[in-house]
Amino acid sequence: MAEQGLEGSQPVDLKKHPSGIIPTLQNIVSTVNLECKLDLKSIALQARNAEYNPKRFAAVIMRIREPKTTALIFASGKMVCTGAKSEQQSKLAARKYARIIQKLGFPAKFKDFKIQNIVGSCDVKFPIRLEGLAYSHGAFSSYEPELFPGLIYRMKQPKIVLLIFVSGKIVLTGAKVRDETYTAFENIYPVLTEFRKNQQ
Amino acid sequence: MSGCCKHCGSNSIVHDDISANLFCSSCGVVSEFDGYDAQIGRLNGPEGTFVRVGTSGTGTHYSYKETKIYNAQNLIDDFVYKFALSPSKCSDIKTMIAQITENEFGQGDWFPILIGACAYVVMRKDNKSLPIAEVASVVGCDIYELGRMFVRVVDFLGLKGSAEEFPEFDIVVAFERAVRNCGKFSGLGRDVVERMRKQGVFLIQCAVQWFLTTGRKPLPVVAAVLVLVAELNEVDLRIEDVAREVHAAVSTCRSRYKELLEALVKVAQVLPWGKDVTVKNVVRNAPFVIQYMERKSMGKRGEKRKEVEEKGGGIDLGDAVSECLRKNVEHGTSGNCVENDSLYFEAEENRGFVRSGGESFDQMKISHECLSLMYTEFLNEMGHEKFMEGSGEVPQRKGMRGFEFIACRDWWEGKSELSKKLLLKQILEKDVGLDALPPSFVNGCKVYKRRKEKINAAKLRISRIKHPLGTDLGESGDIGLSECVNAGKKRKGKRVKDIDWEDFIIEALLLHEVKEEEIEKGHYNTLLDLHVFNGGIMPEVPMWKA
Repeated sequence: MAEQGLEGSQPVDLKKHPSGIIPTLQNIVSTVNLECKLDLKSIALQARNAEYNPKRFAAVIMRIREPKTTALIFASGKMVCTGAKSEQQSKLAARKYARIIQKLGFPAKFKDFKIQNIVGSCDVKFPIRLEGLAYSHGAFSSYEPELFPGLIYRMKQPKIVLLIFVSGKIVLTGAKVRDETYTAFENIYPVLTEFRKNQQ
Repeated sequence: MSGCCKHCGSNSIVHDDISANLFCSSCGVVSEFDGYDAQIGRLNGPEGTFVRVGTSGTGTHYSYKETKIYNAQNLIDDFVYKFALSPSKCSDIKTMIAQITENEFGQGDWFPILIGACAYVVMRKDNKSLPIAEVASVVGCDIYELGRMFVRVVDFLGLKGSAEEFPEFDIVVAFERAVRNCGKFSGLGRDVVERMRKQGVFLIQCAVQWFLTTGRKPLPVVAAVLVLVAELNEVDLRIEDVAREVHAAVSTCRSRYKELLEALVKVAQVLPWGKDVTVKNVVRNAPFVIQYMERKSMGKRGEKRKEVEEKGGGIDLGDAVSECLRKNVEHGTSGNCVENDSLYFEAEENRGFVRSGGESFDQMKISHECLSLMYTEFLNEMGHEKFMEGSGEVPQRKGMRGFEFIACRDWWEGKSELSKKLLLKQILEKDVGLDALPPSFVNGCKVYKRRKEKINAAKLRISRIKHPLGTDLGESGDIGLSECVNAGKKRKGKRVKDIDWEDFIIEALLLHEVKEEEIEKGHYNTLLDLHVFNGGIMPEVPMWKA
């Protein structure tokens, strides 16, 4: 019984993920408009979790611990929230930041919340012959071992960029919704198996 | 200055130095100002030397552009000279830059980088890879800065997509270039250099097959192979010098060298004395190992088996050879226990080596004398090495001097196709006696295994606490401790018998019902955020629990 509880297994939906692998979302970037002009200096002075160095960057950098995220707050009232691991977390974090701004005395609203980028990663657990992949998918891929160890694959549909490494580890970025990440991975998986190095 | 007064008509107009006006000295009337200078360039303009200060005005734009283009062309010529490229390449580079800049060329800090990127692209297009590190060092910029410019050039010219038009960076060409440019080789005979080049190409292509080059900077591999080949041919070459010459980091070159040796050790396992071959003495055995690889590569992968199947005899060549070897042991000719069979010795006769095609099994007898001779030599070396002790350091190789490679000239034949430049597909078809996996993949597998062990240990710990009276679990107190020793740099040198941060995280995740496969991936922060510190967000209730 205890063992069963520890397993916590939830089978992978093979219809949605024929490869049996679900990319893990590692970072969500979202933006929101607070619709009010902000005095960054006063924010930086009042909030303990904020840093502001106008010489270096023209925004207040604010962090909260739960969800563990970082926000860039601009004087125009626009805000960028990064570091969340799910869409809901990102929205919740953005709301928390807006609330903090409100408490500091600004009439902040919460308008046009949008997920701008989703980064995911996964491991196919077999080595990939990058040279071969670059050769046969030359139009989409860029493999320059002198500059970067991975192969950069620019998928057209969905418009996702994949970083493919020889170890079988994959990074997917550029998605606006998580399904794009999943589709991109399911699209690339058969291609990767084509260039897999068979293990003894 | 001359003229008559409009008032009195006299000819006595004088220039007043203080006010710069003209006045009539007879009537005193100041005449109207007409002291305009004639415009430059007009027909009645002033004669004499024309001195201009500043660049505004008519005519300057044209001369500015001319000067800019002139300087730019000079700069290109200068760089082409430094890259030691041919004049035709120079004109190619100029055409490319003219196309990119719409005949404007340019000046400023970015322009040398563009020249470098174009030179690199032109050479790549011609399949004569010019290492980007070398370009960067000549241009005097960061390799990544150059890389960004290179990517822009490639995008602008639309070179992506066709491997014929724009081939990949060729490591073999880079190696040949390094051999040509190596200062140490200038004093050697042409045949020696040629032999080294062939051996190097062979080893490089083996490295390609063994994944030692995939996803890695090519130049450190080039340096490592160059050092090894030089060592095999008794040329004194230090890895630091080679690294500097090919613009690679010394430490990376060393680790590539080590990886290369490790791969050779793995190949050497098929030798009868394979078990005794280690990274420290593999260089001495390298002639045998490479010879074996060379033989092996001359037969096609899988071909042998097919032939045997066709014959229907079901006798594997390897079996035949190992049988012979066993016979060797029985007769006690070598006097040593030979456990591993060796394909290396297939078809070795009269040093003429019959191809491994297997036309006649009679020809595949092993020369016992040869075998025992080689092994005796090896034993001698071992003794010699032990005596020397501590010679195994890779870069210094103090113990190597004075040691002579046995039949150094004889072991290399260079008949294998792998010593010529081949396409990747052809390289992969060859069998060189080792089917290696990429080091990063192997490390990844180890890490997975370690995490799996940690998860199992954590599960046991949890269930022990949940069921303290459970009889089946309490066989030892060790279950609570992570058994894995080779955990990572942080705990190096420590006896790992205690629970660390990772174990606690794994426990926390397990208690929050995170899937084991997820934990195995090791994205602890993500999992903690999603499952443990997920404040304010209602967890999705799984279907099977609802």
